[in-house]
Amino acid sequence: MSIRLPDRELKKGSAELLVLSLVEDRARHGYEISKLIESRSEGMLKFNVASLYPLVYRLESRGWIQGKWVEKAGQRRRRYYRITAQGRKVLAAQRQGWKQFAEAVRRIAGVDYA
Amino acid sequence: MPDWKRMVRERLAALKLEGAKESEVFDELAQHLEDRYEELIAAGISPADAERLAIEPLNTSPSLVEALSRARHPRKPEPPARPSHLANLLYDMRIALRGMRRKPAFSLMVVGMLALGIAGNAAIFSTFNSLFLKPLPFRDSARFIDLDETAPQWNLHYTGIAEPDLFAWREQNTTFDGMAFFNNLDANVSRMGPPRHVDGAKVSRDMLDVLGLKLVLGRNFTPEEDRPKGEKVVLLGYSLWQTLFSGDRGVLGRTLVLDNEPYKIVGVLPREAVFPDRAQLWVPLASKRDSDDGWYLAGIGRLKPGVTPLQAQADLTRIHKAMIAGGRSVNKITSPILTPLRERYLGDFRTTSQVLLVAVAVVLLIACVNIAALMLVRASSRAHEVAVRTAIGASRGRIVRQLLTETTMLALVGGIAGVMLGRLGLRAIVSLLPDTMPRWIDFQLDFRFAAFCMVATAASALLFGLFPALQASRTEVSGTLHVSARRATFSRAQKATLNVLVVSEIGLAMALLIASGLLVRAFQKVTHVDPGFRVENVLAFEADLDEHKYSKPEQCVAFYQNLLDQLRAVPGVAATGAATSPPLHGHWGQFFKAEDDPPPGPNEKRPVVLQVLVTPGYFDAIGMTVLAGRQFDDHDGTLKEHPVAMVSETFARQHWPNSSAIGKRIRYDYDPKGPWWEVVGVLRDEKHYGLDGEVRPAVYIPARQWTYPRTLMVVVHTTTNPQVVIGPARKILAAIDPDLPLYNVHTMSERLDRSLWARRAYSWLFGVFSLVALVLAAAGIYGVISYAVSQRTHEIGIRMAVGATPREVLAIVLRGGMALVGAGTAIGLAVALAAAGLLEKLLFGVSPRDPLVYGAVVLAVVGVGLLANAIPARRAASLDPVKALRTE
Repeated sequence: MSIRLPDRELKKGSAELLVLSLVEDRARHGYEISKLIESRSEGMLKFNVASLYPLVYRLESRGWIQGKWVEKAGQRRRRYYRITAQGRKVLAAQRQGWKQFAEAVRRIAGVDYA
Repeated sequence: MPDWKRMVRERLAALKLEGAKESEVFDELAQHLEDRYEELIAAGISPADAERLAIEPLNTSPSLVEALSRARHPRKPEPPARPSHLANLLYDMRIALRGMRRKPAFSLMVVGMLALGIAGNAAIFSTFNSLFLKPLPFRDSARFIDLDETAPQWNLHYTGIAEPDLFAWREQNTTFDGMAFFNNLDANVSRMGPPRHVDGAKVSRDMLDVLGLKLVLGRNFTPEEDRPKGEKVVLLGYSLWQTLFSGDRGVLGRTLVLDNEPYKIVGVLPREAVFPDRAQLWVPLASKRDSDDGWYLAGIGRLKPGVTPLQAQADLTRIHKAMIAGGRSVNKITSPILTPLRERYLGDFRTTSQVLLVAVAVVLLIACVNIAALMLVRASSRAHEVAVRTAIGASRGRIVRQLLTETTMLALVGGIAGVMLGRLGLRAIVSLLPDTMPRWIDFQLDFRFAAFCMVATAASALLFGLFPALQASRTEVSGTLHVSARRATFSRAQKATLNVLVVSEIGLAMALLIASGLLVRAFQKVTHVDPGFRVENVLAFEADLDEHKYSKPEQCVAFYQNLLDQLRAVPGVAATGAATSPPLHGHWGQFFKAEDDPPPGPNEKRPVVLQVLVTPGYFDAIGMTVLAGRQFDDHDGTLKEHPVAMVSETFARQHWPNSSAIGKRIRYDYDPKGPWWEVVGVLRDEKHYGLDGEVRPAVYIPARQWTYPRTLMVVVHTTTNPQVVIGPARKILAAIDPDLPLYNVHTMSERLDRSLWARRAYSWLFGVFSLVALVLAAAGIYGVISYAVSQRTHEIGIRMAVGATPREVLAIVLRGGMALVGAGTAIGLAVALAAAGLLEKLLFGVSPRDPLVYGAVVLAVVGVGLLANAIPARRAASLDPVKALRTE
């Protein structure tokens, strides 16, 4: 499965931002996160099991998100991740950084991003 | 459905996480693969393809195991990259606390040593503070000054103030806001329950103003009342008002019977009226302008703002000397002498307490040196840690700060423990103080005490912390990191530093020990002085006859004769007599000349003579020895035409150095028409002013030969415990005169003990401090040598492997340690020789270079040093060379 991205580094740098944004409003499990990234980017960005979990676990060990096993009636046991207070701060900072970066790229390269 | 979990486990077998964590990871990943598989199936892909597609990322991701295990083994969070000062401090404190907990023995030792050092300082400083620094409890007390007269020609530093001088000074001075004069008053209060003796004062009416006091009730004396033959009025002291009248506010106008005379109560003094010392009531001084009663008053003045004591002294001297022209020629001899109040009453303690302050400061210094050495040793075992931290980017300042935080926290704990210990110490010292200390001294702790303790603690922390911290931070990174042993060795410079610390510690302890040895020896010498009177089995007390009931001399004679006769009949009484001032009790000075004295030279000093009036039997009761001639008998003093006297050996030696005193004649120097008294006996000198006091010449005369004095001290020599006589004596006195209280009841040994309290207290304290110093120094030697041995384990192993015997190893270690002891001893001796002269005043004739003390201290220090060295040396000698060689 190829990664159709302009730059591997770009994906790496943005991955944290993506995951944090997705668990910002509600808790989600790992598969849900990967599906949302794929669907919302219309297939541009894809995470598989091998690329997602090291990232999720890293965010968790930094204390930015927190995972919890949840058993719902009629469903299997899944691990849900929610953002922590510290994670919110990081997310805000990263959003700001990306905005500035994108703005800078637009000014220089004349690329309109939205 | 494929077994996802098994497939995940197979592929991630190398993960090796902790059990529960690993299984959670496998669960979660298996779950993910299952979701993916179901999705692919739902999209119409065949089960075999779906399984292959789902598992593919796990097969094609070679670094997955590493990435997962890193994410699941989080590193400890580093302190924030650029933390604030507060965060740094908190972080340092946390590390320091962890360090203290990890090395409890080390921490306890540091805290203990510091606590000892601070405790001594806190206790002695608070004593010094109370005696000399705290303001007295009066308004503007710094402007108070003691007034007196001095007469070097009479060999008297303080003579007391004569009334004519009082009036001149008070009326003509330009440098004082006010002056007040006073004299002690012993009074019997009767007709208010059992008779009681109270200390009072006769004061001039200016006293209230000068002290700035307001009465609780009533009014001050009027000028008319403060004149000779004025109305008898009294101001009650606050505590007397409470005890006698239960604080009744209707006390004004009522009568207090003092010495059988009614006094009208006109006011009540406030609680703050603690001057004149111990006075429980005031009556008017009523001084006479033309009195010739001599010099007996005390005075206190309040300087005008901005006036120095020297200016005031010049002012009063001018007035005093101007009186010579007016006919008062004795003012050629006397001069005013002004002394700050505190100095007058406490000056004797100044040297002592300063010497003690130095002693405790030295103890603290030794403690700090010791701790610094310990820290240095400890720092070396942390050199690796420091090197690692430096290598990963900690600055030198950062490391020094970290180490300083540790020492500061240790110092804080030690300081607090020390202050608490010190408060106990202060309580002990106060309980050692005699009851003759002025009551206006307040031993409560105050802000000066708090400030002192904080400064002492902070200075200690800096002293014992900064130096090792700087040393440790200088650790060479690469060298230390290369050393395979966790414990790095000392550099040559660090070893030298350690040695200097130990040597100076031994030197300081040594000097302190010598000083305390000298003081103890002086104390011993004093207690072995022959007092010249009987100490054991003697009771002495006073009974004060009032001048109304006992206005005629015959009445007084009859009273004392009756009392003494009845006392002699009490079982267990061996002898009894009475005197105006028995040993250790007061001074009454006179000036005598002998018939055959050569006329004195113009600048010759005429020494003051102690005059004592005695009853028959007194010398037997007090146990004084007649060296020549005879004692007084019952007839002496009754024959007007044949007055007699006895003299002390010092008096005899001064006047008749080459012949017998018996049969010679003496009389008062100032009374050329007075009768000559015949010397009938010579007495051995008695130590009247204390065992370490001076000896003045003395003249004894029969009490009956004088207009009989009303206050004699009765002396009873018993065959058993003298205390048993107190009860019978009270009964006898009550039967003779129910209005008279018995007071100042003490045995002679009690009086002697009290006269030595100061010397005993400071000798004892000094001894304690120097022992603490010795123990600290010994701990220092032990610690450093033990450390050195542990550092040299490998070397010693090699030596033993190539044939050194245990005895030789013992010798090597001992030689190194004893070299330090030897150097410390030499330095200590040098310091002691240079400084002991400062103690000379306190040494009572013991030489500041007393060889016995120096010898004993050298032996003790070397002995203790040997002991402290022997333990690690034996440990070294008993090393197993094979094990020693294995240690890195």
